Formats: sequence, structure tokens, C-alpha cells
Amino acid sequence: MSGQRNRPENSASVKRPNGAKRPSEEAESFTRRQKTERRDPGGQPVKLELDGVSKRYGTATALDSVSLTVDDGEFFTLVGPSGCGKTTTLRCIAGFESPTAGTVRFDGESMDGVPPEARGVGVVFQNYALFPHMSVGENVAYGLRFVDPPGGVTRDERVAELLELVDLAGFEDRDPDSLSGGQQQRVALARALAPGPDILLLDEPMSALDARLRERLRQQVKRIQSELGVTTVYVTHDQSEALAVSDRVAVLNRGRVEQVGEPRDVYHRPHTEFVAEFVGENNVFHGVVRRSLTGQRASPGDVVESRLDPEGVVVEVDGHSFTLEGVDKSVGESLTFCVRPENLRTGTETNQIRGTITGTEFQGATTRLGLDWEKTELTVVVADDGDTTYEVGQELVVGFDPDAAHVVE
Amino acid sequence: MSTIDTLTDATRTPIRWVTRTLEQRLLSFVAVLTAVVLFVLFYYPVATVFVDAVVDDGAFTLEPLTEILTSEFYLVDIIWFTAKQAFYSTLASLALGLPAAWLFARFEFPGRETLRSLTILPFVMPSIMVAIGFVATFGRNGTLNRALTAVGLPPVELLFTLEAIIIAHAFYNAPLVARVVTAAWESVDARAVETARSLGANPRRAFRDVVLPQLLPSVGIGATLTFIFTFASFPIVLALGGFQLATIEVFVFAKVRDLAYAEAASLAVIETVISLTLTAAYLSYEGRQRAAGGAANPLPRQSVVPTTWSPKSALRTVGIAAYTVVVGLVFIVPIASMILASVTGADGGLTLEHYAFLAERQATGATYQVKPLPAIWNSLLFAAGTLLVAVPMGVTMAILTTRRYRGRTLIDALAMAPFAVSGIVVGLGLLRGLVFGVDVFGTRIRVTGALAIVAAHAVGAYPFVTRNVAPLFSRLDDRLVESARSLGATRTRALFDVELPLVWTGVVAGAAFAVAISIGEFDSTIILAEGAGRYTMPVAVERLLGRRLGPATAMGCVLLLVTSVSFFVVDRFGGRWGEL
Repeated sequence: MSGQRNRPENSASVKRPNGAKRPSEEAESFTRRQKTERRDPGGQPVKLELDGVSKRYGTATALDSVSLTVDDGEFFTLVGPSGCGKTTTLRCIAGFESPTAGTVRFDGESMDGVPPEARGVGVVFQNYALFPHMSVGENVAYGLRFVDPPGGVTRDERVAELLELVDLAGFEDRDPDSLSGGQQQRVALARALAPGPDILLLDEPMSALDARLRERLRQQVKRIQSELGVTTVYVTHDQSEALAVSDRVAVLNRGRVEQVGEPRDVYHRPHTEFVAEFVGENNVFHGVVRRSLTGQRASPGDVVESRLDPEGVVVEVDGHSFTLEGVDKSVGESLTFCVRPENLRTGTETNQIRGTITGTEFQGATTRLGLDWEKTELTVVVADDGDTTYEVGQELVVGFDPDAAHVVE
Repeated sequence: MSTIDTLTDATRTPIRWVTRTLEQRLLSFVAVLTAVVLFVLFYYPVATVFVDAVVDDGAFTLEPLTEILTSEFYLVDIIWFTAKQAFYSTLASLALGLPAAWLFARFEFPGRETLRSLTILPFVMPSIMVAIGFVATFGRNGTLNRALTAVGLPPVELLFTLEAIIIAHAFYNAPLVARVVTAAWESVDARAVETARSLGANPRRAFRDVVLPQLLPSVGIGATLTFIFTFASFPIVLALGGFQLATIEVFVFAKVRDLAYAEAASLAVIETVISLTLTAAYLSYEGRQRAAGGAANPLPRQSVVPTTWSPKSALRTVGIAAYTVVVGLVFIVPIASMILASVTGADGGLTLEHYAFLAERQATGATYQVKPLPAIWNSLLFAAGTLLVAVPMGVTMAILTTRRYRGRTLIDALAMAPFAVSGIVVGLGLLRGLVFGVDVFGTRIRVTGALAIVAAHAVGAYPFVTRNVAPLFSRLDDRLVESARSLGATRTRALFDVELPLVWTGVVAGAAFAVAISIGEFDSTIILAEGAGRYTMPVAVERLLGRRLGPATAMGCVLLLVTSVSFFVVDRFGGRWGEL
């Protein structure tokens, strides 16, 4: 985040040039007032706001009252499984779809009825969508047909500048078809950035590339984004990608926002069972709080006992008792908690689980085990020391620390 | 927000507002215009025919219709005969077209690609010219009888027989069958056959279980289309069958010539209803059978000349050779006969007298006589007019039919209806409506014959533009337009900057089709040009045919030349015929 706060001086040149055509002083001060009023706790002005945006196709609901804010200069990621509505959200922002209900605002101004060409967004699609009948240079220059190049340079200079930015200097006359997938995607990025968009929208831009290339391009996109300080909304189904590049992440499921937060926060403190299972791997347990560890015994139905000391509770799951810490639940309440596979350890004495290995996957530094316990399949990740072997059918005891469990809704 | 500023700026000056709105709404504007044109040029005329059939002196009557539907003459001699000849023509087209599909899909031989692209040729051939070719082949002094006499055999009388009509129909429709089935055959994945073989099927069994089921839908499509086309066949039957062997179309024409409009309209209505029903059935069938397109691994091709000789391969080679001869007879002989007849005198020697006759007619002919130059001029003029109307209409329709929106199926059907309604009906409707004059708010509106002809040609031609362009449009990624728009292009700009350049080959091919169809169009032209000086080359051919074969074939050769040039344009710029 802090990287974007001090945007480099040249970032102004990336702004959409017709922004230079400020209509009047009053309008400008109005815009500024708007901007200063709308600040999130982080202190950055809100660039993009989705206010109760819903999208329905006939009876099917693609988006169900999605509300989000994205700060100026932020790298914001929408992540979720296919069909969760992340691409629909992006298309509503770009103006390719109009919301059935709710409003999309840029800098506090409603985008209702504003066509895509007037929104000042740059879009990069998964399949690049380069114009096949134009050269690389013509592709990048296309957006400059409608606006003057930012920063007072000529079109050709701007194109060269952008191609250099994406490490494709001198590729102007090449045919898009002659480029590799990664190169094509970088051309698409340069094309989207050339007119100096206010917001950059990336719709699964890496999905068609192989893993290694994806990682490299991801770094490059992130670097360019922070150099230019352009507000970016990134859509991906790959949660690890989302965690790797984003300032903040919104996890979407079935058209709803499950959780918004910084990657670390979302990973370690998922709010819902869905987020727990979608972001990273997780083992989810459903149980009932049986007693508090602060002394008082409580039985189910004992309503006199209101809130327990969050120091510790005993939770019963399928007849087994587990001790958890930091739980804000009453005795008798049911709860769901999760434990990361790497936190189920063979050496841990507390909260032991005895299961049968159902599968092993050697992954280099670690080995991933499937563990059958009470008819549920748990996942355990153990460090591979090169000596210990794990066989299918073998019995294994793992345990977790009371503070390794995280309660979700 | 900078971009909004631009927008508000634009709304401040009225002119910019108008141009901007126009740019944003151009597509809708053209769409509405297309709808209006289609209504005026097609639906209104067709409706006129329907009204003509059931209204007599301003009173509703079913008399003409019931008269026809209870008359043995109409039911058996006209309607049943029309269906019968269409059925036999379909069988003949399948018999002639399926081996070609087999050769195209499974064999490699020099000129295969060229021959395959030539299968489009009959579509752009003026039907009256083909008819002339067949007359020159099967006539009393035709090529066939000359050949028979030369080898000492008695001459045969094939003209004005069902056989001649069926062979001529096969000329038109066998290539269609071949094209559709070849495309399906090439999309069969070799791996599916290999899987069947590895599971224990012998080659014959693998063909029956894996290949055949994938071919049958395309055979069905080819057969249905052939039936629809031959059911509404007009110039071929008129020239080769005369009024003795008349289809519904020919009889409608005869009635129009006798000025018996009510009867003509009733017959036309019955024909249109049958054609539309068949087309609707076809469209729903085609919709369900749509193939996925070319296979990643098509079946391997083999050489026509076997590498190792066995009785089986020898038999196959003989079969292919025999088939090649038949193809030559059906497709080359009629055209060659026409050219030959145009330079053959009454004594059998070579002569240019028929062309001299045309030249002389041009120089000294009376006003009521057919002259060659006005025919050429009119044809080219109407073709240019057709181009101007049909190309924008066809492209707009292609855009509309490749979008997803509510009620699209209805739009598709309405837009493609001209495909199924015969030119005779459209011509008749235009004649009875706009040409004779229509009262609109007390003003009598009349359209001249020339405009009506262009209208009829445009209605007949634009579905070909759509069919050439729409597949290219549907292959375009929506993201391309979206990218352009996010970069600042309006919808209209995106159309001109991105979509049209990418579908340009289809537009040009469609335009060439439109020209070729306009030049060759006969059905509605002969109705609308009746009596007027607005005759085209095909009409001239038909009128000359009524007198002597020689000048008619000479005129036919002129027509062939002009059509060949337009086909050259099609072949030069197009190259994607699989969809049609």
C-alpha cells in the first residue's frame, strides 16, 4: 500500500488526458471536495465504489447486492470460484453490463448510463483480444485515436514508451499472431495503459499461460502497477495469485461478497467457512461448545452462563473433545472451526486426532497426506525429511495447538 | 471525472450532441431502417399476394383457394407434380452429390481444393442460362442427339420430359449436397474411428457406427434444402418442361401472364405456405444438428490412384473414373453445348451468325423487340442497385443474428424468410402493390418497374450477404469490441475499426453473391419486366428462346461471361464457402 501512497511524479502523465480539460475551477473544487470527503480508514481517497450492485439474468442472480470500495492506486483483487460473479462485477465496472440494481461510482460520480468508451477504464482480457488485423504498434496506439497521448508526447513516442514498459521495445511492426502468449498479454496490457486509464481492469489475464510464465508476468504487472500507481481491479479464480499480488482481496461466492481484506488477514482470519476452504487449504470441523475452561462447568441448555471467557473452551466434534482458545461462543452453541493442514502436526500432544492415511502426495519439501477421520477426509501437510515414509492404510496421530484453530461463521 | 466532462461538454453543443448520438445509435438506426426496408420490399408485397388470394372486390372470399384445393387438375397435375419432381430431383442430387463428398473428404488429388470451391458455381449461375444449356444438350438438334447420330444410334427426345428437369435440378443441387456433406465428413475425428477400431470394429463397422451417424444429419440438411429449392424451381421447369410439365411456380407465372391475378395469388399462397412450412422444419432440424466444425484430426486422405493394385482397389478406381465421366456430362456438357450452339449454324458448321443477329437486332430492332445492350445495361444497373441495398441490409442482419437477445429466434426467422419465399411471389406482390400503386394517406404512391426490380433482387440477395458475413461475425470474440470500447471507441467506431475489417472477406464475397444473384435473377424480374423495357439478360434469353435457339445461346454466352467475372470476384476475395 505504502508504495502507492507516494506515487511517482510521472503518474500524472498516465491520467486520462481529457482530464486536463478541466471544465472549470468550481467543478474541480467540487471534485476535490468529493474526494476529500470520501476517504476510507487507510486515508486514500475512494476511486471506485460499488453500492449494492446486483445483476440478474432472468431468474438467475449473478450478483447479489455487492458493495465494495477500491482506493486510489490500490491493487484490488476479486477472487472466487467460476460462476461466483467476479467477471460480472468487472464487466459492470467497465460498463459492458449494466447493473439490475445498485450503482457503480468512479470518484463518487455515478456511472449509470455512461458507455464503456466514456469511462476511462483499461481492460485486459484472458485471451488478450488483440486486434488481429493491426500490428502491435497499431494495437497499442488504438486508444490514442480518441484521446491525445498523456504527457504531451506524440503517439509514436507514447507507443514506444508503453512497449518499453512491458519489455517489448521495438515490437511495433510485429504481427500479434507472431508473438507468444506472454508477449501478447503484455501487448494487451500496454494497449490498455496507453490512453492513461483511471482504472485498470484485468480479467483473469494469466489463466491462459503456463505456471512459470504466469508467475513472471504477475511480478511484472505488479511492478508496472505500482510504478504507474493506477488503480487496478484484478479478477482471478486462483487464490494463491490473489494473495501474492493484491493490496486487498474480495472473496466472492455465488454473487455475494464473503470477505474483503488484506491477503494476510483473509488467509489467517477467514470470516466464513467458504473463505476458509477457498483461500488456501483447510480442515473444517463442526462441533458444539461443551464447557468453558475458566472454571465453571456448564451443561447444554444452561442459559444462565452467558458469555465465556475467551481464554478457552472445550468443543465436542463427533464425540471427540478439542480445546480451543480465543473463542467467543456460549456453552451449548454450535460452532465451526478450521485448522490449516500445516498446523496438524505429528508431534503435537494436544487435540490429538487418530486417523488412517488414505493417500500421499510427494510435493518436494513437503508431503501432503489424506487422513480418514470419523468419515471425514482431513488434509495434513508434513515436512519431508527424506526418511519418514507414509503408506496408505497406515495409522497416523496428529494434533494441533489450541490457538491454531480459527472459528468461522 | 475527466471522461464524464467530455460527455457533458458534448451535450453542450447541439451539433456535437447530434453527431455523437448518431454515432452511438447508428447500429440501432440501421437496424430499424433494415426492418422498414424489409417490410416494404418483402413483407408488404407478400401480404399483398395473401390478400389478393382471399379478397375479391373488397369482400373476403375463400373461393379461389377452395377451388384450387378441390380441383383435381391443381392437386394432381400441379401440386402433386411439383412435389414429385422435387422428390426425384432430391434423389438425383443425392446420388450425384454424395460420391463427390466422399471424394472431396477422403481423397487427395490435384485440384481438389479448386474443384471444391467450384461447387459454389451453380449457385451463382443464372438458372435460365443453365436451362438454355440443357436445351442445347437435350434438344432435337442438341449435343446428345448429334453424338448419338454420329455413332449411328437413333435420337432421343428428352426435352419437355421429367428426366431433363431432374438432371438440371441435380446440376444445381448435387454440389450443394456435396458441400454440406464434405464439411461434415471432414469434421469427423479420426481418433473416434481409431477408438472404434481398437475396440474391435472392422473398417466397415467403424464407418457404420462412427462415421455414418455423423454424416446423416448433413445428408438430411442437403436433401431438405434441395427439396425446398426444387419445389420452388421456376426457370428450369419453364424452359425444360414448358407449360405441359408445370410446377406451381410456372403456373403462377402463366396465370400472371393471363392477368388472372386472384388465381395466381391463391396458387402463390399455397406454394408459400408449403415452402415456409418446409423451411421452418428445416431450420429447427438444422438448429439441432449444428456440427462443431472442423476436427482437430480429420480422417486421412488417400490417393485416387491406388498405391497397390487389388481387385477391390481396381474396382474403386473404375468407379471413380465412371463417376468423373457422369460429372463431366452433367456439369460441363450443358455449358459447353450452349457455347457450341451459339457458334453453330443451321447446317452444323461454325458460324458467328447468332452474334451477328444480336448485333443487328441492336442496330435495327423495333422498340418492342429485345435488344442485347439494354439487357446488359439493365442487368448491370440493377446489380449495382442491389449491391447498394443488399450489402448494408445483409451486414446489419448478420450483426443482429449473431447477438444474443430476447426474441432473436423470431428476428432470425423473419430475416431469413426471403430465402424461402419464391421470387415469383415477391415479384407478384411488388407488381400488385407498389408498381400498380398504393394509397397512403390519400396519396397514390407508385414505384417504377426498375425500382421494384432492384427491390426484389435485394430481397433475394441479402440473405446471401448475411450467410457469408454472419459466420465470420459469430467467430469474432466479443472481447475485441469490448477492448475497443474500453479504449474509447463508440459502438459504431468499434464496428468500423475492428469488426468490419475482420469480416471484410465475407462482405466482399457476399457482395459478389448479391451481384451474381441480381444478374441471374429471373423469377421476379420476368414478372416485373413484363411488357416494360426493363428486361435483363436472363429475361432477354428467355424471350429469344421463344423464337430460335441460336440467338438465345449467344445471349446466354454473354450472360455466362458476366457471371463468370462476378464469380471470379467471389473466388478471389472470399474463400469460405463451408457455411452456406
